[in-house]
Amino acid sequence: MAEHDAPLDPITVEVVRHKIDGIADEMEDALLRSSFSPIVKEGLDASASLFLPDGTTLAQACAIPIHLATLIPAVGRILTDFPLATMGEGDVYILNDPYCGGTHLPDIAVVMPVLRGGRVVALSAAMTHHQDVGGMAPGSVPTNATEIFQEGIRIPPVQLRRGEVFDDTLVRMLRQNVRMPEVFMGDLNAQIAACTVGARRLGDLAERYGDNHLGAMFDELIHRSEAMTRDALARLPAGRYRHVGHMDNDGVELDRPLRIEVEAVVGDGTVHFDFTGTSDQAKGPMNCVPSGSAAAAYYAVRAVTDPEIPTNGGCFRPVSLHLPEGSLVNPRAPAPVNARTATIKAITNTILGALAEAAPERMPAANSGALLVLAFGGADATHGTFVVGDLIAGGSGAGPGADGVDVVESDATNCMNLPAEALEMEAPIRLLDNSLRTGSGGEGTNRGGLGIVREYEMLADGITLSHRGERHFSQAPGLAGGGAGQAARSVIIRADGREEEVPSKLQTVLNRGDRIRVETAGGGGHGDPAARADAARARDLADGKIRMPAAE
Amino acid sequence: MSGEETGPWLAVDVGGTFTDLVCRRGSKTVGVLKVPSTRANPSEGVAEAIRRAVAAWNVRPESVQRFVHGTTVATNAVLERRGARLGLLTTTGFKDVLEIGRQKRTRMYDLVLDQETPGFLAPGARRREIGGRIAADGAEIEPLDEAAVEAAADALVADGVEAIAIVFLFSFANPAHERRAGEIVRARHPGLPLSLSSEVDPAYREYERTAVTAFDGYVKPVLDRYLHDMGESLAEAGIAAPLQVMMSRGGVASAAVARERPVRLLLSGPAAGVVGGMRAGTAAGTPDVITVDIGGTSCDIALVEAGRPVVRTEGVIAGYPIRVPMIDVNAIGAGGGSIAWLDAAGGLHVGPRSAGAEPGPACYGRGGAEATVTDASLVLGYLNPETFAGGTLPLDADRARTVLTETIAEPMGLTAEEAALGIHRVLNAAMAEGIRLVSIRRGHDPRRFALVGLGGGGPVHACALAEDLAITKVIVPRHPGVLSADGLLAAPVEQELSTAFARPLEGLDMAALTAAYGDLDARCGALMAREALPDGGIEVRHFADVCYIGQGYHLEVAVDLAAADPLGDLYRDFLVLHDRIHGYAAEAPARIVNLRAVHGAGGAGRGEVAARSPGRRASIPETREILLPAPWGRVRASVHSRDALTPGAMISGAAIVEQADTTTLVPPDWHGIVDDDGNLILERKAAPHG
Repeated sequence: MAEHDAPLDPITVEVVRHKIDGIADEMEDALLRSSFSPIVKEGLDASASLFLPDGTTLAQACAIPIHLATLIPAVGRILTDFPLATMGEGDVYILNDPYCGGTHLPDIAVVMPVLRGGRVVALSAAMTHHQDVGGMAPGSVPTNATEIFQEGIRIPPVQLRRGEVFDDTLVRMLRQNVRMPEVFMGDLNAQIAACTVGARRLGDLAERYGDNHLGAMFDELIHRSEAMTRDALARLPAGRYRHVGHMDNDGVELDRPLRIEVEAVVGDGTVHFDFTGTSDQAKGPMNCVPSGSAAAAYYAVRAVTDPEIPTNGGCFRPVSLHLPEGSLVNPRAPAPVNARTATIKAITNTILGALAEAAPERMPAANSGALLVLAFGGADATHGTFVVGDLIAGGSGAGPGADGVDVVESDATNCMNLPAEALEMEAPIRLLDNSLRTGSGGEGTNRGGLGIVREYEMLADGITLSHRGERHFSQAPGLAGGGAGQAARSVIIRADGREEEVPSKLQTVLNRGDRIRVETAGGGGHGDPAARADAARARDLADGKIRMPAAE
Repeated sequence: MSGEETGPWLAVDVGGTFTDLVCRRGSKTVGVLKVPSTRANPSEGVAEAIRRAVAAWNVRPESVQRFVHGTTVATNAVLERRGARLGLLTTTGFKDVLEIGRQKRTRMYDLVLDQETPGFLAPGARRREIGGRIAADGAEIEPLDEAAVEAAADALVADGVEAIAIVFLFSFANPAHERRAGEIVRARHPGLPLSLSSEVDPAYREYERTAVTAFDGYVKPVLDRYLHDMGESLAEAGIAAPLQVMMSRGGVASAAVARERPVRLLLSGPAAGVVGGMRAGTAAGTPDVITVDIGGTSCDIALVEAGRPVVRTEGVIAGYPIRVPMIDVNAIGAGGGSIAWLDAAGGLHVGPRSAGAEPGPACYGRGGAEATVTDASLVLGYLNPETFAGGTLPLDADRARTVLTETIAEPMGLTAEEAALGIHRVLNAAMAEGIRLVSIRRGHDPRRFALVGLGGGGPVHACALAEDLAITKVIVPRHPGVLSADGLLAAPVEQELSTAFARPLEGLDMAALTAAYGDLDARCGALMAREALPDGGIEVRHFADVCYIGQGYHLEVAVDLAAADPLGDLYRDFLVLHDRIHGYAAEAPARIVNLRAVHGAGGAGRGEVAARSPGRRASIPETREILLPAPWGRVRASVHSRDALTPGAMISGAAIVEQADTTTLVPPDWHGIVDDDGNLILERKAAPHG
């Protein structure tokens, strides 16, 4: 970008790297602290980034990998619609439309230019998952949506603020279209506050080092991350690695599994992911727009290269994707997209499955690949109106030198479960069981991690249940001779004893005395089971992780 | 504090490498000394330190009035997995809670994951489920299965367990089942250490409560044995003063009380240093300080607001989050032993890998072949190779330069000096960002704080960090390297108890609140009655954890029960604090989550500003050339011996102040004065540049 005559002082470049990472962390901190929504405060579903004026990522702070690089298409689109020359100090631009560079409608991107002497030298940006953006269901993630219009308000790239002055028409339109306008505006203001922190501190940095000099250092840092990523990729054996993964269904067409196919082409310090062969876009909301598919790819690349490489646009340059138009990984409007998280996890695991062939010595077997989403809603005298959600993990895959971990979040997400003592205070529901799922880990020299068993009893009538599962109809495969983990299974046991199997996705109503028992999937095993140490088997048996083998 | 007629106070802090002892009489420090720690049996090192103190300063053991001890024996038991063989009793259906945890992971990009829950404390085979259920409102749904308790306890004891932890659902709302189960176990197995979750941590969220209760049981027998041995060796030495130990919150308690809730000691390691830093700050007239303790492998940062260290309600040990109150210390993996290295693209990094004590920095001459921060300090002229560590460890400057040149300077195309400066600048940038975040998280602007440099490395970097953060005051205590021992004597005797109290603020019955605090005060009072208390009254403080209804995280707010409108004040104070820390404060309904009572007594330094003798320019015994970052470059610094800097001595940068436990670097724009407590107070002459 900038012209410079004097050679860069390599130490100052390194100091500046610490500074911009620190700025991104401070932005993220401001974002998390001043947001209101529990999903941001406790789910950490927000991220902050700095960009160069050409849209290259300079730094990013994100607490969960699903946010990795997701602002890139949004910033790109804003730069297209609003030329740099028109931007002024304090201006704020927003968008959320997945078909204009967004992810899914609850994620709103906020972008603010950083100016020096009237010229844009950088962009400060923040992305937050908002609690509600309208649409057919509270929370704006309806599992039975069939088009995006049902999922909430679509915001194209628009200018929210000119200097310090908000566009009142836009604000009134937004407030009118969401269920909790105060919370919505509070979280939006938190995003603006985070961007302001970034702009102020980046301005200080430019003041100290001079913007031309700083620009040259930024270029150098991006170049370094690119070099390190290429270097790490070049250490993978060149070749074409293909893998196919499946998702249970799209929540609308329950008998149609979805296929994700990827070919990873590794060579010359680059990797190309071709998704030809992936299912056509789904009727239900499992579709994933390119920003999400890219986040999955970047996560996988970062995990197999070196996570210590400073995150910036340089890391992404050696990575390319072919996402067939009209497919699950690159749908056409107006396909619904709100439940894309499950798809991002599936894409990530399919890519990791392909790369496992390239680096078998350090790759684990597949993890459960699923995060079960349960939501209970209703009303009773004691608790008033209640909505409680539970996010439930399965087991991780065993590695070449270690058993999998039982019940742990993996790949692109990192959510906490709901304590029984929180659930029972908030809703007329009792948790009867919360145990490791004995025998669910894939067999192997190293055993796959176990899933969990959780059983809920309803203490009131008319409780709506939304169940969004995965891995009910497929298993986490083992690696290097290891066995697959057990598939997930959920069953509703009505008060009169009738049992109803849950077909992965379900909306239903439960009444007093009804129970739902969920069993999440185990991770895959690694290596020949016959080579497992006797002591490890004996310990597993004593600790209840495996069952006594049936008598011969 | 009275003067000469009171007997001496001794404090002994056992660290990984050294055991430090401080002796004070009244407000005067009689002396400090260091002996090597004896890892296998730490009380040997303690006994040796006492012997030396007795000999050196003519201390009569029987006249010792207080003996305060800082120990990491419980911490080490966890780190080295040498705790008790523990059995765990839980509610039916919940025996695996300890292992399942909250299902989160900390290392996001690892492909092969590590177990992040402390299942090892009680593996599946040593966990037993017990019938009986309490509901969320405390009502009994199903009676306790007493026969199951008997059978489980017998089976666990037969399996060789040395302690039992009991965690039943909703015991914070109704502890009856846990207490009854405890009675049954105690009756059948007298003397077996027991930990009940309703006593250790009566708050909601079963995993967090289970983990802290299991840790309590795990370290109980270890700490019991240790404190018993320590009591005996004190008796042998002729010291009759009761043994007091440092707790994670920054207060001290008698060994007898500490043994009942040993988990409260688990994170006490960094606490004493912060208390010592706080005391130095208060003495310098600065109740708001940031302490920066730089050791060999890490840099511990803590915030002191208005003369009290910030306490957080959850800490981390060996990577496991554990819900015990502790001084909020944030560690960065960077210290004197941190290794400088180049990444694949030639970028310079410092840490988090450390050369540790063995082989140590290259300049130690023990085979270290990688350049560390200490090597850089030596090449820059900051450290004196002859007087380092009081002359006990001569440094090899040539070796430092050679290693630095080969591993860093040549590959980067720099001179050894430029590379050394680079290491300092990179490390300082990382630490400055860490300090900024710690203060910003509490809603503070770091500029209004003073920086207290602690540990062997703190005073080397303190002024550079202050410059970066636009802080204009730096305090270097008299003995920054043994400040932990000093802090032990500055800490108040303190007991803290809390209870779950889930009620909305609106329409809250004041009588219920008063009754709940009354109960906490009675129990705290009973604990304090067992302490040997210093002169002066007991200070009783009340707090409530408050959040907006619907929020999952809370803030601790002080409660003044004597105020005209305690609940109104509580709500208003909550809004102010929420606005400061979280950046907004809606007038939305709020609720209480927990209540807490803290009873404290003594504690040196609060509000006592040290006198300042009239300033006079210190004589400059010698000078030395040192290298500083731009704009200063190579400058001639005056070199002072800290021992010669008596109260009132004034120095100006560029200066180096040498003492056995640290070296202080004073850049050209800074000047300093020594106060009557011996603290060196450095201030910046003009506004920081750029």
